[in-house]
Amino acid sequence: MSPGENQNLATKESEEEPPPVLGTWPRLYAAVLLGLLVEIVLFYVVTRLFS
Amino acid sequence: MRVIDWVVLGGSLVFIVTYGVWRNRHHRDMQSYLLASRQMPWWAVALSIMATQASAITFLSTPGQAFADGMRFVQFYFGLPLAMVVLSVTAVPIFHKLKVFTAYEYLENRFDVKTRALAAFLFLIQRGLATGLTIYAPAVILSVLLGWSIGITTAVTGALVVLYTAWGGAKAVNETQLQQMIVIMAGMFLAFVVILRLLPKNVSFVESVAVAGALGRLNAIDLSFDWTNRYNIWSGLIGGFFLALSYFGTDQSQVGRYLTGRSVAQSRLGLLFNGIAKVPMQFLILFVGAMVFAFYQFVMPPLFFNPVEVNKVKSGPLKGEFTALEQQHAEAFAKRRQAVERFIRARRSHDAEREARARAELKKADDQVLLVKAAAGDLIKENDKKADRRDTNYIFLRFVLDYLPAGLVGLVLAAIFAASMSSSSAELNALATTSVVDVYLRFIHKDGREAHYVVVSRLLTVFWGLVAVAFAQYASRLGTLIEAVNILGSLFYGTILGIFLVAFYVKRVGGDAVFWAAILAEGLVLWMFWKTKVSFLWFNVAGCLAVVVLATLFSLVSSRFPREHANPSD
Repeated sequence: MSPGENQNLATKESEEEPPPVLGTWPRLYAAVLLGLLVEIVLFYVVTRLFS
Repeated sequence: MRVIDWVVLGGSLVFIVTYGVWRNRHHRDMQSYLLASRQMPWWAVALSIMATQASAITFLSTPGQAFADGMRFVQFYFGLPLAMVVLSVTAVPIFHKLKVFTAYEYLENRFDVKTRALAAFLFLIQRGLATGLTIYAPAVILSVLLGWSIGITTAVTGALVVLYTAWGGAKAVNETQLQQMIVIMAGMFLAFVVILRLLPKNVSFVESVAVAGALGRLNAIDLSFDWTNRYNIWSGLIGGFFLALSYFGTDQSQVGRYLTGRSVAQSRLGLLFNGIAKVPMQFLILFVGAMVFAFYQFVMPPLFFNPVEVNKVKSGPLKGEFTALEQQHAEAFAKRRQAVERFIRARRSHDAEREARARAELKKADDQVLLVKAAAGDLIKENDKKADRRDTNYIFLRFVLDYLPAGLVGLVLAAIFAASMSSSSAELNALATTSVVDVYLRFIHKDGREAHYVVVSRLLTVFWGLVAVAFAQYASRLGTLIEAVNILGSLFYGTILGIFLVAFYVKRVGGDAVFWAAILAEGLVLWMFWKTKVSFLWFNVAGCLAVVVLATLFSLVSSRFPREHANPSD
């Protein structure tokens, strides 16, 4: 199986079963990354406030 | 330990082991034994992924890490959510579609059998040793509680895990992990509540946090860039990303967890939930350590937290010197305690200049305590050459035993044991799966009955349990366990990840090129480990990039060479 075929498989599966929240997988991925960004900002604030 | 603590601890362990054995005693085929029939919902996959990663080391060593070095260790996990997204997009659909038992099976499909064997071999070495560290952590507790040697306690802990893992396979691992996570979360949450209640009544929570912050324990984010600095935001995001990508994408102990999901979506959701929950969870565990540190600013801590080593030195020829150090420690602590009170009063005055002066005095007083503590570590080492001069792994345990109320001590210890069992059972299951599928079934015995492979899987689970217990005997010499386990992983993960990235994304590279690139890349990583001071998180990046670049180069050269060689006159 070639990598091109691998990615086709991934795309096909994504289309078949959407996530239970936010409608599409890319939106859910973006939410996870946004969560990380918020956490880093919060931790930075804690560091600046107390160190 | 009081009777109620032993009842809670013993009851939890006996229930988990018995449940794991009894509920999953019937397995007739490999699909059921090794991958729980691929029927798990997303929340079970998520719990299993998190429970596998969060071993006893996480709950014993991480609070101690924050106590000794502050919260900057949290940055180590910043690459994890990124890796969860990448794996959800790429690896999960491919592994599911091909219905593989192990990640390494895919490599034969994509390259050749020797590349599959190499990746499986690197995994078996790395994970076989790392499981020893996982088993060692709770054995430390038993050793402290019962006064038994580490050799005996590692054997007892290992035997408990091997019993239900060998008997019940992947389903026992998954089902017991659910109960284990409940015990773990309840134990850590209640420990945190108790720590807050133990802080002095006349000092607010924010002031306690400020004391920990003034002494550098709330340094969660470090924006500076330094190759030799283990934990800053860059090593966390980049190195941590590569480490997490390797661990979750190529380590069978994790791949085996999400392959139990009943569909691509369920496996993906399990991974993404881990991406959302892992960083806050680690932050809170580190914060528990920072609060234990704040507590010990008001109550005198032991000079050295490892009671076994303290007893040794006190019963030897260096007893007098250690007692003198204890006296110096008490004096240094009293001065620091006064400095803490001055700092709190300065904060209340809202006078920035006064606060800065008080902060500097506090830091100076803390440095004196640290000097005495370092001298105690040296004395411990002088007394016993094999002893570890650091006591980080014992800090949280000692606090729990000394200050938590009856019943809760048993629950927290049960949480630490549950964490160890959840990780080591998944690791043993993965080691058995890889040994059977990638070695035994592929090279030794191809046409056996399903029942035969289930029996072999059980025997190999026992074998890897023995290997892990044997390696655990050396774990006390490796320093902070949470770092030791990650350093060990970083020696191999980059190379394995490089092989998989080439498999997924570099279409033109074949088996020979990636195989030799991986051999050279592993040599490079080992050279960096022995000969340079580069921080271990970068080993993952170096190993991975070396495989990708070298494999591409070898592929280019080999595609030109045969043509030139065959037609030298062209």
